[in-house]
Amino acid sequence: MNLDSEAIRSAAREAVLEITSRALKEGQKLVSSGLIDSLSILRLITLLEKKLQLSIPPETLQPEDFDDLDLIVETVKRVAVPAH
Amino acid sequence: MQLNSLSYLIFLSAAVVVYWLLPHRFRRGFVLAASLVFYATWGIAFVTVPVVVCLLVYAGSRLTLSDTGRARLWMWLGIFCATAILVFFKYREFLLLSMMPVASWFTGHTYSFARTVALPMGISFYTFEAIAFFTDIRQGRVKKVGFIDLLLFFLFWPNVMCGPIVRARELVPQLQFRFGFEPRFVFEGTDRVIWGLVQKNVVANILGIWVDKGFAASTAAPSTVDSWFLAIAFGLQIYFDFAGYSNIAIGAARLLGVTLPENFRQPYHAATPADFWSRWHMTLSRWIRDYLFFPINAKWKGAAFPLYLSMLGVMGLVGLWHGAGWNFILWGLLHGAYLVLFRMYEAVKGEGASVAPSSFTTALWRVLTLIGVTTAWVLFRAPNLNKVSAILTSMFARHTMTAAYSQTFYLITVAVALFCAVEPLLMRTLAEIEERAGLEGPSLFRIVGRPIAYFLGLLLFMLFDEHNAQFIYSQF
Repeated sequence: MNLDSEAIRSAAREAVLEITSRALKEGQKLVSSGLIDSLSILRLITLLEKKLQLSIPPETLQPEDFDDLDLIVETVKRVAVPAH
Repeated sequence: MQLNSLSYLIFLSAAVVVYWLLPHRFRRGFVLAASLVFYATWGIAFVTVPVVVCLLVYAGSRLTLSDTGRARLWMWLGIFCATAILVFFKYREFLLLSMMPVASWFTGHTYSFARTVALPMGISFYTFEAIAFFTDIRQGRVKKVGFIDLLLFFLFWPNVMCGPIVRARELVPQLQFRFGFEPRFVFEGTDRVIWGLVQKNVVANILGIWVDKGFAASTAAPSTVDSWFLAIAFGLQIYFDFAGYSNIAIGAARLLGVTLPENFRQPYHAATPADFWSRWHMTLSRWIRDYLFFPINAKWKGAAFPLYLSMLGVMGLVGLWHGAGWNFILWGLLHGAYLVLFRMYEAVKGEGASVAPSSFTTALWRVLTLIGVTTAWVLFRAPNLNKVSAILTSMFARHTMTAAYSQTFYLITVAVALFCAVEPLLMRTLAEIEERAGLEGPSLFRIVGRPIAYFLGLLLFMLFDEHNAQFIYSQF
């Protein structure tokens, strides 16, 4: 899928704000810093799918794939498929 | 060879000196040889078990990488075989004992079997590392790893006994030992090893003497005061025991220039039941999260019923991992129930409601978490369910205020609990003092004074201590 990095970044920022009520800064760690737990990662995935209109198959993912903005962009680009 | 023994200190010191004197190209071979010798001190025959697991992982991972059409099958077959070896050594007796009454009920015969198979050291830990390795290979997180690298990964002596549970992608690159010598490796490593020895040999072992007596006592109805003290003392003992072991393991690896992940972060300061598991045995929690909890719940997108069911199931398995007994399973299930209740509360009140700063709810959750964790330790430690029942009844239902143990026991328990309570404040204050005095970084006190102070105190204790109890987690 050809996805725009900035769109993913922006969707991820909005999703994290929705989950934690805190703005996500560039380079800030989400999972390894304990800011969000594995259940919040599941919510993050659902919100990203909704905002970006795509599907993120979870089979090959681990929470650390969503540890910061760069990793979220890389992960979404790697695994996302068009929404059904 | 126990990690808190004088013989291990001699082994470690000699190994570290030889390691840094050797040219780089010989270091890998030397650490592997030292790891094999260390493992063999528990019984030469036992060395075959991690070697067989390693052969299995090596062959399975090669097939997973080369036979891409059946990669999933090879991964699951590998995980099944590694788990089967663990079940054979650790759960065989438990399964047979649990099934015998059922078999007897059906057939009318009485069954018995001889208990002959001992538990190879660290098998629960390297089996989890093997399962993670298969998953990471399948997910493309780890590339091809050579047999010797893999053997070194599984047998690396600092953490082979009871973790920290590491992932190949964080340890294998370090096991090339391409570091040049830096004095900070010695200072940091020595500091951690000696602090770990103090935690284990001084605090945990002293508490352990009373805890062992208390849980073994035949008193039918211990008093409320004694039951609470016993539960608190065991909670402190197991924390100092395992945190002490972890510090020795992390410090020993640091002496070789290797960084292992942390295992504890002041767990009794947890704000919620979920927070407790992000502070207690952190590398096990990470493994559970990455290889069990997340994959299960990702399939269901975190839906409530599967989520609660998986919390109970996964925590039941965590209990079973700690020991082949119903008390461990119940301990895990109780923690699972705490997590479910907490999640239900969050679902109603909104995420983060329990950790809102300076609120009554925050304080309440802290207290409830501490009480819950302490109560659960009774299930973990008591020798049988009758004892569990007697202690829990005294703690919560039938209140009697007599104190039957020696005054020293109560005083030491209170002193250690107070230390735990002020530990974060103590650490912050020390850091601030050092910063104000311009002593941040490798100050003379940090790199020389502190290790020497620990060591002198410890040496005295070790020379006169005949107790030399083994690590609680080495039984898992």
